[in-house]
Amino acid sequence: MMKLDKKLLISLCAATLLSFGVSGCMDGASPAGSAAKTPSIDGGVMYPVQNGMTGPYHVNEKAHSGAIKFGRTPTEEEYEEWNSDVMPDGTGLPEGQGTAEEGEEVYESKCVMCHGDFGSGGGGYPALAKGNAYELQKTLTNQRLKPDTDGPVRVFGTYWPQASTLWWYIKDAMPHPMTDSLSDDEVYALVAYILNVNEMEIDGVEVDEEYVLDREKFLKIKMPNRDGFEPKIDGPNGPENVRKYFSNPDNFGAQKVKPSERCMTNCQEPTAKVVYIQNGGISDFHPPLSAERSLPKEDNSAASSFDVKQAYADNCAMCHDTGAAPAPGDKAAWKPLIAQGMDTLYKNGIEGTDLGMPPMGGASMTKKQFKSVVDYIVSTVK
Amino acid sequence: MTSTNDNLNKEKIVDIKKSQQNLDAVSHDTEKPSFDRRDFLAKTVVASASALAGTTLLSSAAQADDPAIVEPTEWGTKWGDPVTKNLYGMPSKYEHNVTRRYTKLLASGNFRASIAVTPIQESMGIITPNGLFFSRCHGGVAHIDPNEHRLMITGLVEKPLVLTMKELKRYPSVTRTHFIECPANGGQEWRGPQYNSLQFAKGFMSCAEWTGVYIKDILKDLGIKPEARWMLAEGGDSSKMGRTIPMEKVLDDAMIVWGQNGEALRPEQGYPIRLLVPGWEGNLCVKWLRRLDFASEPWYCKEETSKYTVLKPNGKAIQHFYANEVNSTVTSPSPEIDWSDLKDGDTVEIEGLAWSGMGTITGVDISFDGGKTYKQAELKGLVLPKCWTRWSYVHTYKKGEELLLTSRAMDDAGYIQPTIDQEVLKVGVEAVYHRNAVETWKVEKDGKVTHVEIRSQYDRKPNGELVIEGKA
Repeated sequence: MMKLDKKLLISLCAATLLSFGVSGCMDGASPAGSAAKTPSIDGGVMYPVQNGMTGPYHVNEKAHSGAIKFGRTPTEEEYEEWNSDVMPDGTGLPEGQGTAEEGEEVYESKCVMCHGDFGSGGGGYPALAKGNAYELQKTLTNQRLKPDTDGPVRVFGTYWPQASTLWWYIKDAMPHPMTDSLSDDEVYALVAYILNVNEMEIDGVEVDEEYVLDREKFLKIKMPNRDGFEPKIDGPNGPENVRKYFSNPDNFGAQKVKPSERCMTNCQEPTAKVVYIQNGGISDFHPPLSAERSLPKEDNSAASSFDVKQAYADNCAMCHDTGAAPAPGDKAAWKPLIAQGMDTLYKNGIEGTDLGMPPMGGASMTKKQFKSVVDYIVSTVK
Repeated sequence: MTSTNDNLNKEKIVDIKKSQQNLDAVSHDTEKPSFDRRDFLAKTVVASASALAGTTLLSSAAQADDPAIVEPTEWGTKWGDPVTKNLYGMPSKYEHNVTRRYTKLLASGNFRASIAVTPIQESMGIITPNGLFFSRCHGGVAHIDPNEHRLMITGLVEKPLVLTMKELKRYPSVTRTHFIECPANGGQEWRGPQYNSLQFAKGFMSCAEWTGVYIKDILKDLGIKPEARWMLAEGGDSSKMGRTIPMEKVLDDAMIVWGQNGEALRPEQGYPIRLLVPGWEGNLCVKWLRRLDFASEPWYCKEETSKYTVLKPNGKAIQHFYANEVNSTVTSPSPEIDWSDLKDGDTVEIEGLAWSGMGTITGVDISFDGGKTYKQAELKGLVLPKCWTRWSYVHTYKKGEELLLTSRAMDDAGYIQPTIDQEVLKVGVEAVYHRNAVETWKVEKDGKVTHVEIRSQYDRKPNGELVIEGKA
């Protein structure tokens, strides 16, 4: 019983702490009363400090009394500078506006090279749309049990529960090589464009090319898969819903058993067979697997063994071979760029441009190596 | 007993022993060789007696002498490096194959939103060296100047706070050994095995001794408001990675850490500071941490809805799936370091790792037939909460035998690893994350090791429920 009580005390302590501020609540709990066990929020075990120990670790409880404190209060401006999160109820969402048409322009110059035409994805980058979000949301019950069956479509329109996530993420973390560089209006425009390619509606109105998305309309977006997630985390009961959910192993595919009752014989389904790796599986490992103890081969990072074509394929091809940027051999496209002089060409490549070229293509290489890649491209159009 | 809140170490050890005794009775294990002290002494006496009698135990077989012994070596006869060289030490150059590895299939953003995984086939004990700790980032590895970095704590607190790194480190430090695991560890293998490699099948995790401060210790002076239910943790790198964490975990064991295995965090691990949420999804352990914010409602960060959610066959997805569940793997043998060099009759140690983000490992079983029958393995070394735990089983190898080595772990929260069939029937094959079903290595006749799964084919009933094919 004592053990059960400790668990209860922890959760009571957490509640007390929330209500009355901190008063050493987490430090040591003594048995009191008896009540049903309260599970932890993750379905696991907690190890509260007791008699100067938490699990196997010793604790100097005096050090954790709250007497040690440092730091200062942030200023209003400091707070605002970092307070960029946008919540589903609109907290943190600034005023602004943009149309899908304006968004498409931004998209074509800053996003298409990774996210593909109309948000179709590619090259390891996430797709943003696959068609009508309301229809494709229904694919979420698909399971690829056989290689030729269709899987669920998990893109912004079909899967994400909140549009606020998209606004916040674009503003803070996109475009990937140059984050925090878009204006609020550009973000509204891009969101409008992404809604448009997902064929979504706001309040029954289709988000077409001319649709002007602003803060008020944004807050009316209802995502097709808004109710597709469990447990429910919103509102005052959110954490308790989570606790309840993870107290049932069936909900999340877990198994509980008393150690003395666990299966030791006949523990497999009779239908279970040995399944082998198909078609070689995934074996594109870098560096190749080896357990040898040997002297390393020549350092591949040395400029002498730098493979220009491989570097191009790894770092540049995803834009320059896909039409998002001039391709090697495209004399018409490269001629005016080369005409600016090689120094300018190198500089723009190394520092990046507003047209979507990330600094050094986002590649990990020396400036000298980067210049050799530029030289290679130039050699294809001479 | 095991599902209760057992925090007294002594009690626990007794509990484990008791349950092990029970299990011994169940498993009828008679094959385990015993190496007791008397046995050892007896063998030593025989050897000493032979030496005294002037007989020799040395080989008289006609075999060439080993040049590694009979030839002088350069390192045995010449000066080595002066102590002034390599003031920050590096591994032997002969260990260059022990390294993190990556695959282009798990890379986007020019390897800026990507992962490099730990060679756990070469791991020793329960600590991953800092240079081998798996590395996952969303906007590249940031290199932060600690003098220009701040931690800000805001939202539903009476007293918001900003700390320099020097001030943060003045809080009472706590040192704990915990694994961090990406919940996508094994996430490519819901439909069948893909990687003939332990490093890629299970290396999306590592384990280290972390030093930092409990967040609850900083909050004691800030006055958390009663309506605060969630905390946002946000990074200061270009990806501004954020995640929502419930107050209960914040007030339990969540830490801000700056130390890893006795030195500063590496940039790949979020230097100068990262969040550590023991046992929970690695993605929650936000690197390059700069902001904690408290609110009454959850944030719906990008990485907690679009990713890190488990889509079930009914079309509903589990969100806020925090803990990495009980798990284990055989680490020796592995596809990388197999048994092809063993001779018939060699006695060999099968070794592995077990871990649980929900508590402490209480036992591990091993199967030689892919999970039809199990025998109890032994835990070894330190057994710590939410930490890698080593286990072992001694086996006498028969040349030409085929084995299906499967391990299965249990924790003190009462969980046991499911079979892949049990797990798939509940969450389907589209989950991506949180796959903790038992894993199987097949030892082939020639001692080579390949990754297999022991599983059924699945079907769907008209109502969408998954069933095993051929069963009603």
